Amino acid sequence: QEKFTLRLAETWGPNFPIFGDTTKNFAKLVEEMSDGRLRIRIDSSNKHKAPFGVFDMVKAGQYDMGHSASYYWKGKVPETLFFTSMPFGMTAIEQYAWFYYGDGMELMQEVYAPQNMLSFPGGNTGIQMGGWFRKEIKSLDDLQGLKMRIPGFAGEVFAEVGVSPTNIPPGELYTALERNTIDAVEWVGPALDLRLGFQQIADYYYTGWHEPATELQYLVNKKTWEKLPSDLQTILKTAMRVSAYDMLVLSQHENAKAWANIKKEYPDVQIKNFPEDVFQAMYDANKKLLKEAAGKNDLAKRIVESQEEYLEKTRAYTDISERAYLNTMAEVE
Amino acid sequence: MIGIIMFGVALVMLMLGFPVAFTFGGVALFFGIYAEGMELFAFMPFRIMSVMQNTVLMAVPLFIFMGVVLQRTKLAEQLLTSMGRLFGGLPGGLAISTILVGALLAASTGVVGASVVAMGLISLPVMLAHKYDKRLSTGTICASGTLGQIVPPSIILIILGDVLGLPVGDLFKAAVWPGVVLIGLYIIYILVLTRLKPETAPAMPVDPGRSRKQEVISALIAIIPPLALIVVVLGSIFSGIATPTESSALGGVGAVVLAIIYRQFSFRMIWDAAQDTVKVTAMVFAILIGATAFSMVFSYTGGDYLLEDWLHMLPGEQWGFIILAMAVILILGFFIDFVEISFIIVPILAPVAEAMGINMLWFAILIAMNLQTSFLTPPFGFALFYLKGVAPPEVKTVDIYKGIIPFIAIQILVLALIVIFPEWFGMSATY
Amino acid sequence: MRWIIKLDEGLARLSTFCGWIACIAMILMTANVFYDVVARYAFNSVSIGMQEMEWHLYSVVFLLGIPYALRNDAHVRVDVFYTNWSNTTKAWVNLIGAIIFVIPFAYLIANYGYSFAVDSYNMGEGSGDPGGLPNRWIIKAVIPFAAFFIATAGLNMVTFALRVISGEKSYEVEHSGGDLA
Ligand code: NA
Ligand code: NA
Repeated sequence: QEKFTLRLAETWGPNFPIFGDTTKNFAKLVEEMSDGRLRIRIDSSNKHKAPFGVFDMVKAGQYDMGHSASYYWKGKVPETLFFTSMPFGMTAIEQYAWFYYGDGMELMQEVYAPQNMLSFPGGNTGIQMGGWFRKEIKSLDDLQGLKMRIPGFAGEVFAEVGVSPTNIPPGELYTALERNTIDAVEWVGPALDLRLGFQQIADYYYTGWHEPATELQYLVNKKTWEKLPSDLQTILKTAMRVSAYDMLVLSQHENAKAWANIKKEYPDVQIKNFPEDVFQAMYDANKKLLKEAAGKNDLAKRIVESQEEYLEKTRAYTDISERAYLNTMAEVE
Repeated sequence: MIGIIMFGVALVMLMLGFPVAFTFGGVALFFGIYAEGMELFAFMPFRIMSVMQNTVLMAVPLFIFMGVVLQRTKLAEQLLTSMGRLFGGLPGGLAISTILVGALLAASTGVVGASVVAMGLISLPVMLAHKYDKRLSTGTICASGTLGQIVPPSIILIILGDVLGLPVGDLFKAAVWPGVVLIGLYIIYILVLTRLKPETAPAMPVDPGRSRKQEVISALIAIIPPLALIVVVLGSIFSGIATPTESSALGGVGAVVLAIIYRQFSFRMIWDAAQDTVKVTAMVFAILIGATAFSMVFSYTGGDYLLEDWLHMLPGEQWGFIILAMAVILILGFFIDFVEISFIIVPILAPVAEAMGINMLWFAILIAMNLQTSFLTPPFGFALFYLKGVAPPEVKTVDIYKGIIPFIAIQILVLALIVIFPEWFGMSATY
Repeated sequence: MRWIIKLDEGLARLSTFCGWIACIAMILMTANVFYDVVARYAFNSVSIGMQEMEWHLYSVVFLLGIPYALRNDAHVRVDVFYTNWSNTTKAWVNLIGAIIFVIPFAYLIANYGYSFAVDSYNMGEGSGDPGGLPNRWIIKAVIPFAAFFIATAGLNMVTFALRVISGEKSYEVEHSGGDLA
């Protein structure tokens, strides 16, 4: 039987926790399930040197696969934005339901097909934290002119409510926040934020709203996909799905561990929610921007509508299940 | 194995004297096409794009521009000779001044290309004009220009923080004492050397018509404006007005303002300065692009896997592990770029070190010290190439190679001190 | 020989033209970064577009600076043997080096860089950040553009070497760094 080796480029560095564990887990699953007929060779960003070139490299066939995040390609193909996580959008389990049992997966393939690629869910970070702030945000006024590192669509929402999104290279983020060159930083969640040391210099850690369920992606070059026999395609799909789910679980585990660590070693760090007027303003801004995005073309419109409809239905159930349970727990504790 | 042969060939080719950047690129081309085919070079635009979007490297042209303007307006000379005068009849004053200025620049950038070239522009002509030994001059400049790697903010420490999962702030704090000791030892070395061989670094001529007090006062007055510029650059970082990269633009604009104040300004001067800046910047980045082609071929032909295999053979006992790991990094530093080392080697060594109960903060500082040395070690020490690129023709590559040796010895000494007496530097070897 | 001199001088003008653009970009970049710092600190106004313009200009500086530096012999060499060689030997090193190293290397970058930029153009790629710059293809096109001029500068090394071999020119006057330090 023919043997295949697929080269996978990931956006992350080698040994990047959680994200890197996901691709390693994936490669191991593929190799074992296929009894060595299919192997994955992972190249991290230190090797290909193009963390944000993954899209183009997989498209051109320089790599067979990629591991990245769909919203990074918003500048190239605007509709890719919707397949990572949207502000005030679905939680991880709701979004997986949309992908696998709603229209999510189909719409995603429709976006990626013209790019000669297939895209699959690639693992979830869980809800991302709202960011590290050096001053408490008490009202909408406190956000006016606030300099914050917050990229992408969430940055646009923040800009709508008066924040000045600022670009700072990752290597200078710590120094910039420490010395008040910027006032706030959005990164990921406890496990990854801890590594950059923001807890040492900012006391206010805000809860998330802008990326409730950040889903990474596996990209597969279409030609590569087509040349694989169908049993190996199934193995690949299964390994992607299992490793993606495993990442969500691992994120929960690592974040809980890191948060316990922050609480113990940095007792000054306070968890905050944005005040209600801030949330309301951001919610309205998000609605407005989504409407604009949906107005661009038919595909964008169908994606936004599909997500809105699905969210409404699935949230109604979440409300009487998970939410009801957590509320009950909060009362009895 | 191709990677290893490629190093040998590159070394021989470099000796022929063709520009370094294109020798790296050209040798990579031959081996790359031979082993992987032309298609491999489809990765080059991506790699170049990564350099373009690495805005931290913007500090290179900006610092060079500041250095060129300071040099063209003679303000650099004024700063260094006045500082040198403060040492009175003591030889080596200019070299010590160079180290101190280098330390100040180090605190404002972590990009070696920026600080070495700026220091080369500012202080090499002055030292040579005052009959300093070529080797001592170039060694001092390379060593003090490379201080930026260990003195925070530092790129190595940020990368290591990322790779090892350590808070950057802790690393920055831990690096302060090693940096200070290094600077101190450089100065002590100059003092000792000039006592033994005063002719290598003649004292500044003393004006017999003036008292020592007058000398000191006039020197202090002359130092103030250029020093103020450096204080502005540093101050803008510490006060949060600018990021370290942006501060280098403040330095360039500040140098132009000084030129205006000193009536040295003309549009011609700015245009000439821009031309010099472009040439030197291009020299530095051509090397980066050539080197990225080289490391691309090295890793895509399996060089990184080969290194991993070797590293897995390191001994499992703490002291043996530390000493051999340091030796391996030092030797690889002769050939490979520090970023490659941090990303290929550190992830392999880290879990082993952690399992031995080694304090990772201490381990990270050891690696950072060691990687700083890699910029200085012949034949592929980038700091040496950069300085050669701005040095007058009478300074030969060999002068720079020989001049750096004592400073490498000092770095190894400090490294050994941190290994043996971590408590002197406020650290511990284990948890 | 006459046409070689003509060609040599014509190619040199191309590299000088690149250098001229790079110098303007250099001055603009310094002003751009300075403006961004002042605007942010004094007026609390941040423009991601202006921040992106910084690296656009910086890329132009070093990419178009490379052919310019080639013509001015500003690229650093290891001179262990090189300085002691005669002009003819130096000319042969430069001639062969340009033909086997510079030109093929630049050709490959130009070739792949061209598809890189065209792909970006076809997708209508722009910045993904709020207020970022559109038309990413323009800055990507600087890669093949610069590579093309690196190739012509390589050819220029050949023509200059031929002039040196013929005895009409020499390398003495222009050496690494020139009058820089
Ligand atoms: Na530094
Ligand atoms: Na080296």
